[in-house]
Amino acid sequence: MKIIEIANFTSLNRAPLVIEGYLFEGSDPYAPSVAIVGAMEGKNILPLYSASKLVDFLKNKIHDKDKIRGNILVIPSINSYALNINERFWPLDKTNINTMFPGYELGETTQRIAKKVFDAIRGYTYGIILESREDLSNCIPYVKLFKSGFEDIEGAKTFGFRVVNHRELTPVDTVTLQYNWQLWETKAYSIVCPNKNQIDIDNSNEIFEGIIQFLSKNKLIDYRVLNGFESVIAAQEDIEIAKAPKSGIFITMKKEGTYISKGDVIGQIVHSLNGEIVHTFISTCNGMIVCCYKNGLILEGALAFRIIKSD
Amino acid sequence: MQVKEIFSSQLPVGETLSIKRSRFEPLQKSDNLKRISIVSGTHGDELEGQYAIYLLTSWLNENQDAISGIIDIYPAVNPLGIDTITRGFPLYEVDLNRVFPGGEDGFLPGQLVHALVQDIKGSDIAIDIHSSNIFLREIPQIRINKEFSNFTLPLAKELNCDFIWIHDAVTVLEATFSHTMNSLGTKTLVVEMGVGMRLTKEYGEQLLCGMLNLMKKEGIITTENSFEAREPFLSEIGEVFYLNSPSSGLFVPALDHCAIIKKNEKIGTIVEPLTGATLDTLYAPNSGILFTLREFPVVYEGSLLARIFGERDK
Ligand SMILES: [Zn+2]
Repeated sequence: MKIIEIANFTSLNRAPLVIEGYLFEGSDPYAPSVAIVGAMEGKNILPLYSASKLVDFLKNKIHDKDKIRGNILVIPSINSYALNINERFWPLDKTNINTMFPGYELGETTQRIAKKVFDAIRGYTYGIILESREDLSNCIPYVKLFKSGFEDIEGAKTFGFRVVNHRELTPVDTVTLQYNWQLWETKAYSIVCPNKNQIDIDNSNEIFEGIIQFLSKNKLIDYRVLNGFESVIAAQEDIEIAKAPKSGIFITMKKEGTYISKGDVIGQIVHSLNGEIVHTFISTCNGMIVCCYKNGLILEGALAFRIIKSD
Repeated sequence: MQVKEIFSSQLPVGETLSIKRSRFEPLQKSDNLKRISIVSGTHGDELEGQYAIYLLTSWLNENQDAISGIIDIYPAVNPLGIDTITRGFPLYEVDLNRVFPGGEDGFLPGQLVHALVQDIKGSDIAIDIHSSNIFLREIPQIRINKEFSNFTLPLAKELNCDFIWIHDAVTVLEATFSHTMNSLGTKTLVVEMGVGMRLTKEYGEQLLCGMLNLMKKEGIITTENSFEAREPFLSEIGEVFYLNSPSSGLFVPALDHCAIIKKNEKIGTIVEPLTGATLDTLYAPNSGILFTLREFPVVYEGSLLARIFGERDK
């Protein structure tokens, strides 16, 4: 294993921002290669942990290094400046590094960071981006693939997550890492992690096992894994949404990952001052809750639940 | 003048978020009136539009007889942001000018911009007033997407701004208010002027004059008063030169204002207070009009310091 320096930016008063990659060189020159990108945002705790756990696994748990067949590059953190102070985006100008790709070496700071990262990860066979959900919800871990025309659905299934969300490309997606990586012929996938500020052991195991299964199924490592799920490909029309008709204190009765039946009570909104129940969420379909609004206080009109319909 | 709520959402504890529009129309109503919509406050840290719009609404109040079309005013698209110095939509941390056209079934910020689009749809003209951000100061200018410039450039010239920047179509900008409205047939202009978190009174007055001039030319107001629009620089006859910081430090500008400058004129220095070192001295890469200047002094490598527009020096 080699540690490579991908970028080094100085600051007026902070220690330099150093972006490091852990490179595991494969034993088989004909094997495919993969790069894994961890925390691009400062609230990406699970992405950070999943990537660092993978470094430990490859370095310390695989004793026969010949079992690492293809080159594996892991970049656990891109945005340590934000992680260290619990900011979400680049702390000075609040720009999102994951909207700066493919980057520009003469541009703004975050465009320069994106450029350095992109130069280091271009040309890999596969690319895995560990992200968090962008809205205010928690979800079961899933793979997000844009309908870009270059996406690889079969590869996305080899993580063995329950859901592959195959969704329309929006204008903003054209400046993300996933889209640009695909444009440069890397098979790129985003793993969307729950948006939590602590380490949820169940979630983190699921994400980690998904990555190991992917590496194994795609011949990057020789390692026997138990099969995960047979992924469901979900598009917009397969997902039922429940909006909050009133604001107040939000109580979830069923968590993400739970199967529900039509008629089940799945949540409540309580008036924030008088404590009365002002709304009860009742499922309108059979299916699985994949996302729940994550805060205890909910705004009128906010999306409270997303449910993948079973029928 | 009537005030209408075009979107609302109850907040969790005893408060309602409300997006308001005020409408000014002739005392005698008639069909087929031209309609202009003036929008600001999409970015909560940009306040120049608040003042420019105040000047306009107070003019309209004093000149009710001059109104011969419909003038719709939306000063605060992001009211929570404006009242909390937050650029994006608070809580969701999302830039509202990257989620257009939105939709009824999308997340809350998407529902909000969708309601705005539905209300403005059908207007002949829209003006979206921005003030750069807290980092940069801009001279009053209009930004135009080349795709729509045939329709929007003639209007832009009436707005009394100093510079018109016609840029190429970029996919990511399809998620903006102006692209959405232009696609729906409303000729939409984006004004950038001043700096975030501040009011620049002279710029507000300059834009007021431009808005009144445009509305008079379009028959939306009818008045004996005459309004002069200055001749703007056009980005097509020249190039934009960017000056980004080569190092991280404290930027100390050598100029007070955006101004006409010569190549190699000093723009500022990057210094380090701890040691007293001058890390870099910056000079103009080309002669021209310096239309953007860094206002916020802390910079990283790459931070934009200045933009100059001019013909390339020989
Ligand atoms: Zn703005």
